[in-house]
Amino acid sequence: MTTGPGRSQSEARGDEGAGEILELPAASSSTAIALDELELVYAFIYARVGNRPDAEDLTQQVAMKAIPRLRPGAPASAIRGYLFATARSVLGAFWSTRLGLSESELNEDLAMAVPPGPPSEESAERARRVLESLSDNYRRVLTLRFLHGYSLKEVAAEMRSTVGAVKVMQLRALRAAAKVRLDE
Amino acid sequence: MSDRSENRVDRIVSDLLRGRRLRLRGGDADEKEAITAAARLVAAGQGVQRMHPAFRKRMAQALETAPNGGWLTRRAALVAGLGIATGVAAGGLMGRAMEPNPSSYIRAARQVSPANGRWVDVGALADFIDGQGKRVTAGAIGAFLFRRGDTVNAVSSICSDLPCELQWNGGTHVLDCPCHPASFTPAGAPTNKAYPLPSLDLVSVRVTDAGRVEVLGT
Repeated sequence: MTTGPGRSQSEARGDEGAGEILELPAASSSTAIALDELELVYAFIYARVGNRPDAEDLTQQVAMKAIPRLRPGAPASAIRGYLFATARSVLGAFWSTRLGLSESELNEDLAMAVPPGPPSEESAERARRVLESLSDNYRRVLTLRFLHGYSLKEVAAEMRSTVGAVKVMQLRALRAAAKVRLDE
Repeated sequence: MSDRSENRVDRIVSDLLRGRRLRLRGGDADEKEAITAAARLVAAGQGVQRMHPAFRKRMAQALETAPNGGWLTRRAALVAGLGIATGVAAGGLMGRAMEPNPSSYIRAARQVSPANGRWVDVGALADFIDGQGKRVTAGAIGAFLFRRGDTVNAVSSICSDLPCELQWNGGTHVLDCPCHPASFTPAGAPTNKAYPLPSLDLVSVRVTDAGRVEVLGT
């Protein structure tokens, strides 16, 4: 659990029950703590959208939606839980808006558990396991393209194929990768 | 199938590998699995990402000025509390049903009232095309004016979220923020109800008997 200077461990006030507003430590210490938590949110979002501009926009949306509802004094676990609940909601809206899909079709992205600690190599490990489960050709094209940053032309040369064929193989490999279900 | 799909998906992959944002179209939904897999692979290839220092600084500034609780209604607080319980205990899916009604906490538009303000002539009413936004300045005040027949309304030309000059989009009839995906109606309301930005500030405007449009500026 991330803690910051001056963090209050007091629980949210109990007199308002389920209607309680989350609480943050006072003044600038709350900003430092919120920023630490938003780092986790940013890494979580980046691992799913794969680019900085969208990750920044979405992280900002999470902060914008969640922070006004936090107040000095809440336990960090509650802050993190709420930020990630908001992040899942924002990600769901992002994909459904961009692709014109209902959020029920995006369960995998929405149902990720709250990360217990600092950003880890979890997504890299997951990608490695996904690639391992693919056929040789599919694994090779995705590894060269995504992990080594090869252009289509370079992949084609490496695989003694054509750009067109590599493009088709890339699509089929991505579809296959999407179908891999890991025991998590 | 594939002719188009493979090209579309490769365009998205190429953009991602160059660090560009996801530019998706309606037809791309057919390949949603491939696209989300591509996004995850690109991210995995780059390792754990942290916020860019400039972005972190902007976030810190935004947090320092965040209206903690200032926009909250009792209902929004209640739903937020339920969301926390769900997020912490279950860590599971939280759909839109758990979200508070945005209209309950969108900040109402504020009227711009410059100290020692004065009415500044910004043109003849006839110069304004009905329904189209036109940017004007009245001293230090920048505004978009919208004519409806003989009446005119004005909103601030600055985004309510980031300090960026809005741009009129005549095609979609909204004011677009160039700094992030936000837009506003001619009345100043945010168009995306899912992300409740504050409304644009309102600028005082009047039409004189002589058919001149005047804005309260500095």
